[in-house]
Amino acid sequence: MAEVKAELVGNLWKIVTEVGQQVEEDDTLMILESMKMEIPITSPVSGTVKEITVKEGDVVQEGQTVAIVE
Amino acid sequence: MTEDRSPDSLAGLVDDLHTRRQRALAMGGEERVQQQHDKGKLTARERVTLLFDEGTFVESGLLAHQHALTGADSDPERTPADGVITGEGLIDGRRVYCAAYDFTVMAGSMGMIGEQKVARLRKKALLNRLPMVWLLDSAGARIQEAAGSTFAGSGALFYEQVQMSGVVPQVAAMLGPCAAGTAYIPGLADFVPMVEETSSMSLGGARLVKAATGEETTDHAMGGSQVHCYVSGVGDLEVGDDAACVAAVRGFLSFLPSNNREQAPRLATSDPRDRRIDDIDTLVPANPRSAYDMRKVIKRLADDGVVFEVKPTFARNIITTLVRFDGRSCGVVASQPMVKGGALDLDAADKAARFVWLCDAFNLPLVFLQDVPGFIVGTEVERQGIIRHGAKMLYAVSEATVPKVTVVMRKAYGAGYFVMNGRGYEPDTLVAWPSAEISVMGPEGAVDIIFPKQIAAAEDPGTAREQFVASVRETIDPYIAASWAMVDDIIDPADTRRVICDALDAAATKRPHRVWRKHGIPPV
Repeated sequence: MAEVKAELVGNLWKIVTEVGQQVEEDDTLMILESMKMEIPITSPVSGTVKEITVKEGDVVQEGQTVAIVE
Repeated sequence: MTEDRSPDSLAGLVDDLHTRRQRALAMGGEERVQQQHDKGKLTARERVTLLFDEGTFVESGLLAHQHALTGADSDPERTPADGVITGEGLIDGRRVYCAAYDFTVMAGSMGMIGEQKVARLRKKALLNRLPMVWLLDSAGARIQEAAGSTFAGSGALFYEQVQMSGVVPQVAAMLGPCAAGTAYIPGLADFVPMVEETSSMSLGGARLVKAATGEETTDHAMGGSQVHCYVSGVGDLEVGDDAACVAAVRGFLSFLPSNNREQAPRLATSDPRDRRIDDIDTLVPANPRSAYDMRKVIKRLADDGVVFEVKPTFARNIITTLVRFDGRSCGVVASQPMVKGGALDLDAADKAARFVWLCDAFNLPLVFLQDVPGFIVGTEVERQGIIRHGAKMLYAVSEATVPKVTVVMRKAYGAGYFVMNGRGYEPDTLVAWPSAEISVMGPEGAVDIIFPKQIAAAEDPGTAREQFVASVRETIDPYIAASWAMVDDIIDPADTRRVICDALDAAATKRPHRVWRKHGIPPV
């Protein structure tokens, strides 16, 4: 099980995955809008998305867990 | 006539010499050598053989060994070379000094005689202006010799390393443990490759930590490459095994001169200096909000696609890498939009500042590739001291007197534009791509600061804000900067390699003056 964390503070712009989806390592799960950039949040491991802990429009903090991949 | 090999004859004395040499060359003995190999490590002598051009290593101090204070316990069998192999040899034909700690002899612990040998090497490296390499695999100070208050006389090795800093390259290769104060050897070195799994460094080893604070840990968990090459930034490169580590030492030194009074060797290349990169638009998206991997761009720009990245796994939002342009060894500092959007934070500023100081000390020109949305802002980074860390990068880039070339590829916002060698930082050439966005801040941020009342008073605030944003966006245009002669030229991105090569040629005789001072006071 791996916790997916935001690497910097930002506005959660888009979630491009859903619970139950199979993902590969480095697949984009969500896109953060921060510092004038669309910053992909990627899966650290291959597996199944077990939980998404944020919703679009949320402000996420650096190091905050945004999803869990199993 | 049969040769006289009696013990008193010269031939007999030579036989005795060979016996003694063989005994020392056997290091800690077969069993300990086997244990070293079983851990996946090479012996100190195998590493030295790999490090130097074949047959060029000349050892000094092979016949040294530990001396007990009473004299009775002195045992050459137990401590061959006193646990450290010292000498000099050639790397790519250039002379380098090396101290290789031998873990098969008392766990590579640093004894008094061994340290005298290493001290002599350090003096020679400085005297002859040649690089110094440590191959570290050592339990630390030999406590049997060092415990107690004679400690009051120790520590000069670090003082000497500081004197050597910026005069000769210093490399500390981590091939095993390096516990306790000796971790300052890599701490003061210019390049620190670390072997995954087997190497570690920490100011206190696990047993000392337990005794001092009660914390339970292991040397590896506390100070392995997974800590120092990813989190702390003390390590410069994680490598898979000893051979790769030694190859990294050779690779690093190939980009550097032997000392601060020389230029790095210029390497002949068949890669045309004016080679165009016609598919550059497949590497860099035009949409400024989209990320891409800057490492691919650097590989395409550099001679023969050869890069030597320093700290590739630490502060990945900035790239610091050694490359050659038209055979000339250079340092590249580049934004990495793939990580944190290329925004700068504390670690990125530290990494870049340190790299700029390295390049400047050893006469390596600097090339800055800008796609930087600025410094990360907010409460968290302020608490961490982003101002002093950002100031450090400003400081290093301002101080650097080597040729400095800047290419603004896309974003160049705020202080990010400054620290990446903007117009105010003595660039010898500053060019921009047509996609460049140079501005104090992005249009949305500017509008919310400049026009909040107008937006609030508008009938339709949303539309009003969009109109303001559009009007500010029109002012972010590289041709405005070019029209004010603030950038030297707007270039076809496909010509970037040629432009960099031309700029480096043009600045090759640069000799800037600085106001005399004892030294500045860099923010840390």
